[in-house]
Amino acid sequence: MDIDYILLAPILLPAAGAACLLSKRLENPGSRRFFVTALSVLELAACVLCALLSKGAVTLLSIGRGLDVYFKLDALGIVFSILVAFMWLMSGLFSQEYMDGEENLGRYYTFMLLSESALMILCFSGNYMTLYLGFELMTLMSAPMALHTQTKAAIKGGMKYLFYSVFGACLGLLGFFTVNAYGSTTVFTAGGVIDSARAAGHEGFIVAAAFLTVMGFGAKAGMFPLHAWLPAAHPEAPAGASALLSGVITKAGVLSVIRVVFYQFGAGLLRGTWAQYTLLALTLTTVFLGSMLAYKEKVFKKRLAYSTVSQASYILFGLMLLTPMAFAGAVLHAAVHSAIKNALFFTAGAVILKTGKRDVRELRGIGKEMPVTMWCFTLCSLGLVGIPPLGGFASKWYLAVGSLKSGIPVFSWLGPAVLLVSALLTAGYLFSVTVSAFFPGADFDYDTLEKREPTAWITAPLIILTVLTALLGLFPGVISDLAMDLAGSLM
Amino acid sequence: MLTIPVFLPMLGALGAYLVGRKNKKARDIFADLVGAAEFIVCAALLITAAGGGELELTIPYVCGMGLRFRLDGFRAVYVTVAGLMWMMTTAFSGEYLESYRNRNRYYLFTLLTCGATAGVLLSDDLFTTFIFFEIMSFTSYVMVVHDEKPGAMRAGETYIAVAVIGGMVMLMGLFMLYDKLGTLSFEGMSIALEGISDKSGLYLPGALVLFGFGAKAGMFPLHIWLPKAHPVAPAPASALLSGILTKAGVFGVLVLTSRVFLHDIVWGKLILGLGVVTMVLGAVLAVFSIDLKRTLACSSMSQIGFILVGVGMQGLLGEENTLAVWGTGLHMVNHSMLKLVLFMCAGAVYMNLHELDLNRIRGWGRNKPLLNVCFLTGALGITGVPLFNGYVSKTLLHESIVEYIEHLGNTGAAWPYHVVEWLFLISGGLTAAYMTKLYAAIFVEKPSEPFKEHRSPYMNSLSSAAILIPALLLPVMGILPGPVMGGTAKLMQGFMGAGGQGPDISWFSLTNLKGAAISLGIGAAVYFLFIRTVLMKRDESGRKYYVNRWPRWLDLENLIYRPLLEKILPFLGALVSRVLDVMTDLIYSGLNRTILRRKPIPPRVDEDYEPGDFIPHTHRSYTLQRISSSISFSLLLFGIGFCVAMVYLIAILLMR
Repeated sequence: MDIDYILLAPILLPAAGAACLLSKRLENPGSRRFFVTALSVLELAACVLCALLSKGAVTLLSIGRGLDVYFKLDALGIVFSILVAFMWLMSGLFSQEYMDGEENLGRYYTFMLLSESALMILCFSGNYMTLYLGFELMTLMSAPMALHTQTKAAIKGGMKYLFYSVFGACLGLLGFFTVNAYGSTTVFTAGGVIDSARAAGHEGFIVAAAFLTVMGFGAKAGMFPLHAWLPAAHPEAPAGASALLSGVITKAGVLSVIRVVFYQFGAGLLRGTWAQYTLLALTLTTVFLGSMLAYKEKVFKKRLAYSTVSQASYILFGLMLLTPMAFAGAVLHAAVHSAIKNALFFTAGAVILKTGKRDVRELRGIGKEMPVTMWCFTLCSLGLVGIPPLGGFASKWYLAVGSLKSGIPVFSWLGPAVLLVSALLTAGYLFSVTVSAFFPGADFDYDTLEKREPTAWITAPLIILTVLTALLGLFPGVISDLAMDLAGSLM
Repeated sequence: MLTIPVFLPMLGALGAYLVGRKNKKARDIFADLVGAAEFIVCAALLITAAGGGELELTIPYVCGMGLRFRLDGFRAVYVTVAGLMWMMTTAFSGEYLESYRNRNRYYLFTLLTCGATAGVLLSDDLFTTFIFFEIMSFTSYVMVVHDEKPGAMRAGETYIAVAVIGGMVMLMGLFMLYDKLGTLSFEGMSIALEGISDKSGLYLPGALVLFGFGAKAGMFPLHIWLPKAHPVAPAPASALLSGILTKAGVFGVLVLTSRVFLHDIVWGKLILGLGVVTMVLGAVLAVFSIDLKRTLACSSMSQIGFILVGVGMQGLLGEENTLAVWGTGLHMVNHSMLKLVLFMCAGAVYMNLHELDLNRIRGWGRNKPLLNVCFLTGALGITGVPLFNGYVSKTLLHESIVEYIEHLGNTGAAWPYHVVEWLFLISGGLTAAYMTKLYAAIFVEKPSEPFKEHRSPYMNSLSSAAILIPALLLPVMGILPGPVMGGTAKLMQGFMGAGGQGPDISWFSLTNLKGAAISLGIGAAVYFLFIRTVLMKRDESGRKYYVNRWPRWLDLENLIYRPLLEKILPFLGALVSRVLDVMTDLIYSGLNRTILRRKPIPPRVDEDYEPGDFIPHTHRSYTLQRISSSISFSLLLFGIGFCVAMVYLIAILLMR
């Protein structure tokens, strides 16, 4: 295979940028603003270039059998890397106004870029070792984003984040050992690598290891029972970082689960086992639990974090069904949720920035003050609930139909039912905000209103994400067809 | 061509919004023009369809499965009705909404709803239907809560809750249908079901989809939103909600009945049963109500019940269901037109008095001949008086029940249908009673105190025309049942799976008039013996006034749905979720308190230093803690652990 160093560009670019940020010259807000924005645009361009040009793979470092740092680009990597770079750009733009005047901005942007670099390692990883490396790096590099405000709650949340993530990664390491012992290779191979001759007699153990691995990587996506860090850590970060943690970094957990299940252990190994059923049960529990707690939560950002718990498990549920259609739905939902959750956190951030209100009960009439922001919020919420023709509808359609088609006893119909109950709760916790924002009541005092719309640094990313949500809803085929093709080779 | 009725008003909505930000007058005119254009396009489609033309359109890829539209007789008639209604109500809104806030928002969402409704009515695939149905549900919410008073907000809450729950349940049904049939296109479903006689596996998905459509139609037991949401909306919006949005729900029920459960007895019985309850309950509620618009809303519910009875009879009558098909289709059209007129009349009352309570508005209609005539034609039409439009469709529906009874013969199986027939006639009677109540209150009785008339004239010429034109159509439809109604019905019948020349009906034969006479008799009896005695009281001066005798607690929403959905289920769900939520957290905080605990380092106290001590006491403990929490100490421990592991490994190697 060709050696293709262009793959390293998206990985090294943000890392180099982070190093540059340490220089004194970039401490001036204006030049830093320009630098970060330009770098994010470049990074997105680099990812697109990679997708267009790269056909090869790179081995950066070789330690021994299966221990290479090895990068390889495939369709999944392309989708996720472009998603990451795009969302980072959006959040970078948003942070320019949101973080304006805050302290320790250099640190914030440095770790933001380093996390991006780590995520790129994860996206382009071609074997388990590299994936693991990227995963751990990402945890460590993104923790400072959660810790950034240095309040007591943020530190508590950040520590919890580290603890759960490291524990999850340990379970992932167990998976690595297992694959290394019973697989023919640890390079990602469609359909799995478990060597049936070597595995003979140890199937029970391998399934158990696969189960624990999925649970471990699932922790990053907030899967029950390792979800508790998410609502503690995400809301405490600055809004731009919350958006990335909730919208994108949870997807890193999803990508890792895809890699491990479909490219290492193999879907065939898990299909019909207790592990699949238990994981389905866990994801459905998470879907319900997250929505329910979000419905009960009154702090805006925390509500969104619980919502992430629920939505990320939609994706994991789709993956664990192990059918092509559900897989397509899961990948599509990953993209849609990413866009929507970023936009929702941006809205919450914009509200905090402009009014200081953090509680959803205080938002009466906010739609009259910040119409553009709240319109975006409303459209994105509709998308998240799954109201056609916005995003979220098509992905849920694929997930539910895939579930019914899977023919798994009980779960095949219970899944869609739980998804719909959760959608109902989603409507309950998001529309209540919209309603009080836009319909403040006949006794509302219109005279005290003042326009508080944020500048284009915030509204532009919001509008772009909202348009993206609508486009993904109208033309889901762009991603779902790709995923469907991919799924064909995986199952 | 087919997308124009859908996207023209949607674009018009944005246009009206943008124009409205600059100039309110121009916006009103612009919106009126959009309404008129919509009607003209729809009418052109109707002419195409009447000439036997069928149009078809598929837009692939959109929303994953693609959108599918089709124009046939039924759809052409119905979009034309929709176009007419939007044209008239938009023309009427200009004056009605003068004193309101947020009018831009109203026009934006009304016109969006128009497009979505056209999308539902033209859809040829349940997937497409669902998409536009959901858009319609959400955009119409804004119409319901427009004035943002507490009552409107609460009704809106109910409306949106029913819409969302209905939508989700329906979606579940669609998933299952799609899974079973492999397609959701109307034609495809019919083909997939050909030759399948055992439909037992389809009843559950069918019922779930029915839940969603029925909720929008106002079918019992999901009718709760209807008597609350319709009255609180601005009158032109009420006309649309009652007249056409409910029909979008009925459209869905018809699709199920004619494509999935064509001529299915069990399905027919289900719809018939629900239809009868809706019909009777709506009429009873309307009799009790003392609020003009609430009465009309309950009446809508009851009339939807009539339509559903027709739908049920379609299933029961099987191949010979033309009577029921005609009755259903025509009653839909009639009811839309009637409610258009009646709600706009109510709007004329409200925009002058800002009151809807019968005791406060009574007598206001005296000396207003135009309003009087319009309301009267509407009242006579909905009551089913011969020579007015309602008579035609009600007769057809009644005849279809009679036909089924004859078909069953003198067996024991026929008695439930005798009951249905009598309930049908009684509901017709109740219709007469509550319409008489309204008419008498507004146009006959004397006002208790003179009105402070602010506005003169009470209605401008555009609003008058908007009421008068549809009102004049009603008797035209009723006097010429053959050409107008028969022709319409023939256009519509194909959609519901009927064919042929249709029944040969002598519209004004004695048997047919007898049914109407019985109903009117019952109505007169109810009005004089019940409404004027039980539902009215005398005040001190001896004047009668209307009282609401319906027990307050007897309200399905407040009695069951709200406590269940707001209190009990969330409580249980939250309880379970909280318990699960803290489970792992307990382990985490347990670990934090024990092995991961970080001992606080006490501050260095230099005062304790005494020259004699080599290392002062406090200083020593400080140093030890420094050491034990340092990273090199951790490395040291790690190294020791590593050595132990090595020794263990070597020992194992040596033992082998």
